[in-house]
Amino acid sequence: MFELLGAGLADIFQVKYLVPLFIGTLIGVVGGALPGITITMTVIVVLPFTFGLEPLQGLACMIGVYVGGETGGLITSCLLGIPGKPSAVATTFDGFPMARKGEPGRALWLGIWASILGGLLGAVVLVAATGPLAQLALKFGPWEYFALFVLALSMVAGLVESSLIKGLLSGALGCVVTILGNDPVMGQPRLTLGIGWLEGGVPFLPVLIGVFAFSQIMGEVERLSEKKDIVQAKIELVVSHVKVLAEILSRPLLLLWSTFIGLMIGVLPAIGGSAANMLAYDQAKKFSSRPEKFGSGIPEGIIASEASNNANVAGSLVTIMAFGIPGDAVTAVMLGALTIHGIQSGPLFISQNAQLAYGMFAAYILAHPLVLIVLFFGVRWVLRIVIVPKSILFPVVLVLCVVGAYALGNSMATVYVLLASGIGGYLMVKFGLPLAPFILGVILGDQIEINLVRSLMTDADLWLFVTRPISALLLAMAAASIILSVWQHRRMQKKSAVADGAADF
Amino acid sequence: MKLSKDGWGGLAVLAASLFLFALTLGLKDNPLVPIGPGYYPRIVLAVTAAFALALVVMDLLQPKASKPRESLNYLLVIEMFVVFGLYAGALPYLGFRISTLFYVAACNALLDFPRTPKGWARALSVGLITTLIVYYVFERYLTVLLPRGRWTNF
Repeated sequence: MFELLGAGLADIFQVKYLVPLFIGTLIGVVGGALPGITITMTVIVVLPFTFGLEPLQGLACMIGVYVGGETGGLITSCLLGIPGKPSAVATTFDGFPMARKGEPGRALWLGIWASILGGLLGAVVLVAATGPLAQLALKFGPWEYFALFVLALSMVAGLVESSLIKGLLSGALGCVVTILGNDPVMGQPRLTLGIGWLEGGVPFLPVLIGVFAFSQIMGEVERLSEKKDIVQAKIELVVSHVKVLAEILSRPLLLLWSTFIGLMIGVLPAIGGSAANMLAYDQAKKFSSRPEKFGSGIPEGIIASEASNNANVAGSLVTIMAFGIPGDAVTAVMLGALTIHGIQSGPLFISQNAQLAYGMFAAYILAHPLVLIVLFFGVRWVLRIVIVPKSILFPVVLVLCVVGAYALGNSMATVYVLLASGIGGYLMVKFGLPLAPFILGVILGDQIEINLVRSLMTDADLWLFVTRPISALLLAMAAASIILSVWQHRRMQKKSAVADGAADF
Repeated sequence: MKLSKDGWGGLAVLAASLFLFALTLGLKDNPLVPIGPGYYPRIVLAVTAAFALALVVMDLLQPKASKPRESLNYLLVIEMFVVFGLYAGALPYLGFRISTLFYVAACNALLDFPRTPKGWARALSVGLITTLIVYYVFERYLTVLLPRGRWTNF
């Protein structure tokens, strides 16, 4: 393992990989810092640029965007009080008050160093756990895969905050997308509805690009106002890095626990850093000896939020590299990039593409010092870039989405899929249907069908799904996750009813 | 009992999934596979219909809380979608360069309406610069082919 990681690091230090990684990191930092532009959108914009590159070059660039974006989001959170992305929301709670108290440099660098440390601790788990988990997945037959994918979908649907039924419906709608066009086993046409461009089926990447890019951009467009973000002319960012590091390292339990939370949230499919930073912040507050100080500009809030959202990246990479299940929307785009280069993700990925896999690990590790360099020299530049008008940014992003979709098959069909998905995604958001389960359904729908058919072709006995131990365990976990979320939703409803009642009196 | 947005959404999904379910009944089985191409779609559509129905029922049973209405600019969203639709429609006929120039300029004008000739010049220059950069980066350096126009061959 260490030999392969060493080889991966040696690879990534070559100029041809280092340059895309650095560019990706730089774009990620800027994209993460831009309020209204998420990391998913940034990685979608970068995707078409990777088509002409080698797989490791493209993936290194995307990993750079991912790591850079997670850290970049804290710049505007701390200095302007506007979270650059959802996974930096909790950073704002203490980062901005600290900056307003006259310590912007401390707030910013506490966040940056906590991100770096959380990310690097996550790297240890990423390198150590991915291989063994993939080995475990190699023992799976079609029954276990079917059960694993059902578990992934039910967990995501169950973790949706608004409504369990909406989460489940959204996941089911994602699976509906995969049944349009043709049957993945025999290639027989089905449910094309007489639409020519549906005949080859619906590729998941334009769906993903359309759903996320349009829902986010249109969500911003409907709130567009004349208000311009004002950047203070002079912000004092000079700080003693030794002091800041000592502040973080003097709270080892907070750092480790927040990293662990980030990792676990990352491992769960399609949840992402937005949940990780809030949960870590909440936990830090619960375990703190001075919970009343949270929100007033204390270091614990910044450290918890930032360590967890960067560790979340490592967790997401574990899931995609070991099982081929995307940990979130960004890794779903990476999955698409792998597919474009003809690389099959899943448990065989590491053994069949060891050089690429360890190159990705190395890129993840190296992206952290690169982020540090970018931010050390470029924070002020990034602050200037974030005031680029949305009227320029949005059309450019949408053009890049069209290029990305078109280049997938040099066909207008994918552009039409992009538009249809964009409208669908926006409507889903308006109707309160969560996007994460939908996307997971689109990605896993085909695999669920293929494994169901394979299992029935091997043995038509449906009881095997519940009599094979691993499959039974996974299905039981799927059922348990739904029951648990029903219970949680009910408890929350009761709590809010009590709170409402109390407010009345 | 009145339906809210959730209920109407659920009803739409229910109708669509039942329609697709009916279409799967016409799919012919393949003798090489024990289950036909309609087997899995029927499961998925039945499950979708069941969830959609549950959403409608829950919406009918739950008391409706009145939420403060946000003033959102839906007209601008519709305009953005229409312009994008026109762009997607024009791409195969006018080609990437011409369509993108007009699309970016139109979008820019929609989002930040130019009130002076200078403003219009800004919108057109944003369109021109974006088109040139994207075209040269993708076609020349990344060898990604962009759509050519049937009418313009450009």
